[in-house]
Amino acid sequence: MELVFLLICGGLAVVASLLVIFARSTLHSALWMVVAFFMVSAIYILLHAQFLAMLQIIVYAGAIMMFILYAIMMLNLRHEQDDAVATRVSKVVGVAALGVLFLELLLVGMRHGLLALQGPVTDQMVQSYGRVAVLSNFLFSEYLLPFEVASILLTAGVVGAVVLAKRVK
Amino acid sequence: MIDNQSIYLALSAVLFIIGAAGAICRRNAIVVFMCIEIMLAGVSIAFVTFSRASHSLDGIFMVLFIMAVAAAEAAVGLAIFVLMYRKHGSIDLDKFNLMKW
Repeated sequence: MELVFLLICGGLAVVASLLVIFARSTLHSALWMVVAFFMVSAIYILLHAQFLAMLQIIVYAGAIMMFILYAIMMLNLRHEQDDAVATRVSKVVGVAALGVLFLELLLVGMRHGLLALQGPVTDQMVQSYGRVAVLSNFLFSEYLLPFEVASILLTAGVVGAVVLAKRVK
Repeated sequence: MIDNQSIYLALSAVLFIIGAAGAICRRNAIVVFMCIEIMLAGVSIAFVTFSRASHSLDGIFMVLFIMAVAAAEAAVGLAIFVLMYRKHGSIDLDKFNLMKW
C-alpha cells in the first residue's frame, strides 16, 4: 500500500518538477512548483513525518511560493520568456556530469545494509507521547542552540531583505 | 529485490538532479531559485528517509533547519532580484557575467 502511494506521489513530484524547468512562462513554473511541494509533503506523510508535512505546506507551498509569485507579479516578467533550455557547450557538459552524479547516487541508494543504527526514538515512545511531543522535547533540549540560531538567521534575513529592497533616494 | 527505502532515496536523487539541471540550464533568475528549492526538497526527502530508518529525529531536525534557511534565503534572494531588475531591467542570469572567466 505504501509502495503504491509512494510511486504515485513520487511520480507526480518528478513530473511537476520537470514541468517547473520546461514551462515557458515563469508563472507556470511557479504554479507547478506548488504542485511539486504538495507531493513532497505527501511523501513526508508516507515517511511518518506528519509535522514536517504540515510545515512543508505552510512554509513552502504557502509562504515561499507567495513570495515568489509576488516577485513575479512585481517584476512583470511576461516579456522575458527566455528559451527554456539554452544550448551551450558548458551547459551540456554540466548536465552530463550531473548524469554521472545521478548514477552514483542511485548506486549508493540501492545498497543494502547502510543502516544498522538504532536511535533513541523507539516506537513505544512515539506511541505513548505522540510524534509532536517527542519532537518538541528534543527540539527544546538537545537542539535548543540551533533553534535559537535559526531564529536569529530569520531575523537577519528579514532585515536584510528590507535594507536591500529599500529605494535609495 | 528493491525495498521502499531505496525508492525514497532514488526519488530524492531524481529530484536533486532535476533541480541541479534546471539551475544549470535556465537563465531566468526566479526559475533558477525555484530549481534550488527543488534540490533542497530532494535532500530533505533523503534526510527524512534516513531519519525513519535509523529511529532517530536528527534528520527531521535537519529538514526543519533547511526550511528556516530556505525561508531566509527566499526573502533575501527575492530582494536581490528586485534590485537587479531595478538596476538593469532584466533578471536574465546570462547578462550578469562579471564573475565569469
